Amino acid sequence: MSENVQTADLGLYRKTFIAGLWQENPVLRLLLGMCPTLAVTAAVKPALTMGLSVIFVLTCSNIVVSLMRNLLKPHLRILMFTLTIATFVTIADLFLKAFQPVMSETLGPYVPLIIVNCIIIGRAEACASKNTMFISIIDAIGMGCGFTLALCVLASIRELLATGKVFEMAVMPDAFVPWAAMSMPVGAFITLGLLLGLVNVITKKQS
Amino acid sequence: MSKVKHFIQQSWLLIVAAFCFGLLIAVTNAAWAPRIEQNKIDKLNNLISSLLPEGESFEQITELQVTSPKGKLLTSNLYKATSEAGDCIGWAFNVSGPGFADKIELVVAVDKNFDKFAGYAVLTSNETPGFGDKIKLPYYRNQFVGAPAEKLEPLKTGDPQIIDAQVIAITGATVSSDAVVKILNNSVTQIKTQMQDKGLLSDE
Amino acid sequence: MDTLTSLLLAFISIVLINNLVFTKFLGICPYLGVSGRIDMAFGMGMAVTFVVTLSGTLTWLIDHLILMPYGLEVTRYICFILVIASAVQLVEMYLRKFFPSLYESFGIFLPLITTNCAILGLCLFINLWGIDNLVEAVVLSFGAGVGFTMAICIMAGIRENLKMADVPKALQGAPITLITAGILTLAFMGFAGMIK
Repeated sequence: MSENVQTADLGLYRKTFIAGLWQENPVLRLLLGMCPTLAVTAAVKPALTMGLSVIFVLTCSNIVVSLMRNLLKPHLRILMFTLTIATFVTIADLFLKAFQPVMSETLGPYVPLIIVNCIIIGRAEACASKNTMFISIIDAIGMGCGFTLALCVLASIRELLATGKVFEMAVMPDAFVPWAAMSMPVGAFITLGLLLGLVNVITKKQS
Repeated sequence: MSKVKHFIQQSWLLIVAAFCFGLLIAVTNAAWAPRIEQNKIDKLNNLISSLLPEGESFEQITELQVTSPKGKLLTSNLYKATSEAGDCIGWAFNVSGPGFADKIELVVAVDKNFDKFAGYAVLTSNETPGFGDKIKLPYYRNQFVGAPAEKLEPLKTGDPQIIDAQVIAITGATVSSDAVVKILNNSVTQIKTQMQDKGLLSDE
Repeated sequence: MDTLTSLLLAFISIVLINNLVFTKFLGICPYLGVSGRIDMAFGMGMAVTFVVTLSGTLTWLIDHLILMPYGLEVTRYICFILVIASAVQLVEMYLRKFFPSLYESFGIFLPLITTNCAILGLCLFINLWGIDNLVEAVVLSFGAGVGFTMAICIMAGIRENLKMADVPKALQGAPITLITAGILTLAFMGFAGMIK
């Protein structure tokens, strides 16, 4: 009997995790968190750093909110969520400033902007405030990984076309003339638009 | 009294949470603040040491005032580079000025008598990627290493390998190249005069 | 006269050259969501301008009068977001009581604005750029709101025309809006270097 419960739980966990990666990918399907997506994807390294920071903040805030979920007063809960998220973002920002100063400067003000990233408040509201801690953690990691995945895909395309390198390792041959427009805002908007269109085509074909 | 009690009943979690979070941040900050300070100092030191490789230690000596061509007053920090033996081997200072798109901030290094440039590094700039951005590349920067520390002249064609008072601009980035030369020209005489006034340059 | 010129230049720079939407990627979520019709876009723009001017001023004051003198910079993000959230709440209550018609036209936008990255983003940028006088901070905040309003109204105008164009199925909605925004960014790049 307990084995059935365990397999049912595992199935739920796996479903929640996979949902965050694809069906409910925050950037590509839910269209949340667009601001950092466009801002930090000029190269893969900042995109990866941003993705990992979001995973950290999302997981910690989901844990804390889920622990507090029975104590929250309804009209103060957005304030509580915001306070929690702001604390963990401050910690993440201090960490980057201390151990990765170059990345901290490249990312600049977009690290504190994680506080107003709709993904984190959205997940706190939709999942962590209603579920136990373990599911909230899985949901956070799933969504965070989906976000990181989308960011890295976009960043690889942009960095490859803008400099011929991915993650600062040369991929294109020397004769490649870089598309400077890709590292500018125009490249960000157009690449993301086309990527979203591609995702629409793929999901259409699947259904 | 019941109003206060009602208030506390509604918001006790908020107050407790605020206290705990505040504590968490204070602890984290105390633990990492020295590292963050060190990183800031390291960043400038690394930049200057890349321009003056024989320098062992760099310290800020003073602040100087540079007037821009438009009459705006800018402060420039002057750093002294000393070798391991304790001799001065060069000076570095930061200057800024308008570029093509936005402000360009440079760190400029000169030799110990302020005779020749030792080069420059770009602190911040917002130039067009692929064009004005090339002021960060060795092709343009190397032309300043060893160039005389006086008014430089930007030219469109010529041999960039010859190091003299003439600098060959980057193709397709005339405004950015000229901007760098203008910034250097504007600041070089003013800083040299102020350093002589302060007695920092010995008259050899 | 000199300060007036520099303030005017700061205003123009944040509306045209450093436009929050086109160069700093702030406020994209409402930009994509609300730019369907010009009247809605204008309403959102006005609401954002109102809130951002207020928030920019308040956060500058708190930063320079409380946080920096007492070395509390590490609590900056928390203070900023709390100030913004409270400011939005207060504005909402005030409008509902004293200007009900205005409240009706702002409608649902006000609560949405708290999580608008443009507001927090502007407060952080003012901090990053080291703006050290209050008047310049107020002018920049107001200019940011005006720039956002301009960007969103241009987009709304284009989207209303796009409704009659033959957009491929996969690109309808967010993708074509993003591509249009990219082309607008390219157009606005022409303003770079306007201020010497």
